[in-house]
Amino acid sequence: MFLAWRDLVFAKGRFLLMSMIIALVAFLMTLLSGLASGLIKNNISGLMALDVTNLAFEYNDRPNYRNSMVEREMWEGWRNAEGVVAAEPLGHTMFTARTPEDLPLDDVVLWGVEPGGFLEPDVLLGESLKGPDDGVIISALLANKHGVKLGDVIVLDRVLTKLTVIGITSEQNIGHVPVIYTPIRKWQEATYGPPGGPPPGEVLPDILFDYASVIALQLAPDADIETVDIEWGTVTMDKQSAYEASSGYKEEVQTVKMIQGFMVVISALVIGAFFTIWTIQRTQEIGLVKALGGSNAYLLRDTMGQALILMILAVGVGTFLAVWLGLSFEQSGKPFMLVKDNIAGSSGLLIVAGLIGSMVSVRLITRIDPIIALGRTR
Amino acid sequence: MGLQVNDVVLELGDGDAQITALDHVSFGVDAGELLAVLGPSGAGKSSLLAVCGGLRHPTSGTVVIGGKPLMAMNDSQLTRLRLQSIGFVFQQSNLISSLTSLDQLLLMVHLAGRRPRKADRDHAMALLNSVDMGHRANRLPDQLSGGERQRIGIARALMTKPSLLLVDEPTSMLDQVRGHQIVALLNEQCHQHQVAAVMVTHDVSMLDAADRSLHIVDGRIEEVAVSATN
Repeated sequence: MFLAWRDLVFAKGRFLLMSMIIALVAFLMTLLSGLASGLIKNNISGLMALDVTNLAFEYNDRPNYRNSMVEREMWEGWRNAEGVVAAEPLGHTMFTARTPEDLPLDDVVLWGVEPGGFLEPDVLLGESLKGPDDGVIISALLANKHGVKLGDVIVLDRVLTKLTVIGITSEQNIGHVPVIYTPIRKWQEATYGPPGGPPPGEVLPDILFDYASVIALQLAPDADIETVDIEWGTVTMDKQSAYEASSGYKEEVQTVKMIQGFMVVISALVIGAFFTIWTIQRTQEIGLVKALGGSNAYLLRDTMGQALILMILAVGVGTFLAVWLGLSFEQSGKPFMLVKDNIAGSSGLLIVAGLIGSMVSVRLITRIDPIIALGRTR
Repeated sequence: MGLQVNDVVLELGDGDAQITALDHVSFGVDAGELLAVLGPSGAGKSSLLAVCGGLRHPTSGTVVIGGKPLMAMNDSQLTRLRLQSIGFVFQQSNLISSLTSLDQLLLMVHLAGRRPRKADRDHAMALLNSVDMGHRANRLPDQLSGGERQRIGIARALMTKPSLLLVDEPTSMLDQVRGHQIVALLNEQCHQHQVAAVMVTHDVSMLDAADRSLHIVDGRIEEVAVSATN
């Protein structure tokens, strides 16, 4: 690294310019990583928060939360199957809701869960679903954005179901829509019952309460999923795969990963081009070092070392700036999340891409004939 | 004997474009002897240096440095030989622009795969002082004059205590006075360190400082002369 370090100091203007480009790429990569994590969180944070190992959908080639409907005998069948620790029905329906002042709230996904069950979210404020039958737990973001308080009544459009806000939980979404939690019975009423509830003096038929959207499962490692699926006509996914059943999740992840991939390729090309031009400019000096007795291995170590120093410093600066900016994004409630592992991963990938790019110059170095140090051959 | 060249032929190019750069050249240089190789442009002087320095394999003939024949060596062995046994003095531009005068010498230690120790630094400073450049140890090449750069080049060539010094047109970029100073310095260093030296030049006025001279024309040795001052 003797020559590498002195070159960096000597040609600092050139290397500074290059470092700025790499730092900018690292800055964008980290922001993109934060945005990707934020989007993922914004899409599936509700699912991530569920204390489940698997989700069972009604059998379908492409199961998703909206087209799945399971019956009571299915979740009870699952509950009694071997290797099943716990099984509960989960209702999933999207509604537009209104505030107490009759102003439209954002779209919401109403999740029906068993009060006191393992699907019920932890509340930051208020009480759990064991309280009133029409209780609802909403996310803090929804509460803050629309000024909804504990005790307020929100109304679901179309079905006119009234829900009393009894608890506030952390931000939880599915498909970028905030999730609100109500007892499964209330969800069944809202989803399958007549608008506004049963006519005065009448009760809803029991059959309405025998349906839900999916079955939330806590399975032991030895559970025979395939056999139970066949028996009860379900298709069961592990938690990770169940994220993909959320609308748009797979496409979003693919898009973001594609952009990240392009960034990595661009970085490798830019850095490769820089080191190639830099090597061409140093041809005479490299020939001289070879003539003096410098081996190819020495020169390659030196060049790769130079690229590594440049990449680490520039990526470090770019990542630091992006994290600094990202923290303010996070605090402002934007769909942005800094995940240490992802940032380290994208920075590491960038450094590796830079090193691969700089290896383009390696071939040039090995081909330089030391005789050029003499300036001529005859 | 520091260098022995026996019946060396070097052919360059292919087919109709083939030329004989060196045509059955033989000579020897003893340790502590400075041999000047004179000739017009295109006579084969630099080809001779390239062959002696292991930068070109001759088509036929043998080159032996310090008892080691070069013909049997592969590229990496030749690279090691250049590092350990040969000192090159190039034309003035051949210093590394990012290194100070002292670093130009210490680079040779790094190329040998070692970190410079105090003894290496002391040796480098002693060499810089011997070429009257100790006071310029921390200067970069572009802060030095042509003559100063050439002195640094000589000191660098001696850093690894080589058995052979190959000097390429050391005065081509210098005026007569400085050119003579540099050649005198080379002669002095060559005797002091008991190094066999071959100096290629086209400047006849530099012959006085050499112990012997060869005149080369069209790749053939035309004349061998012993300097009048020796």
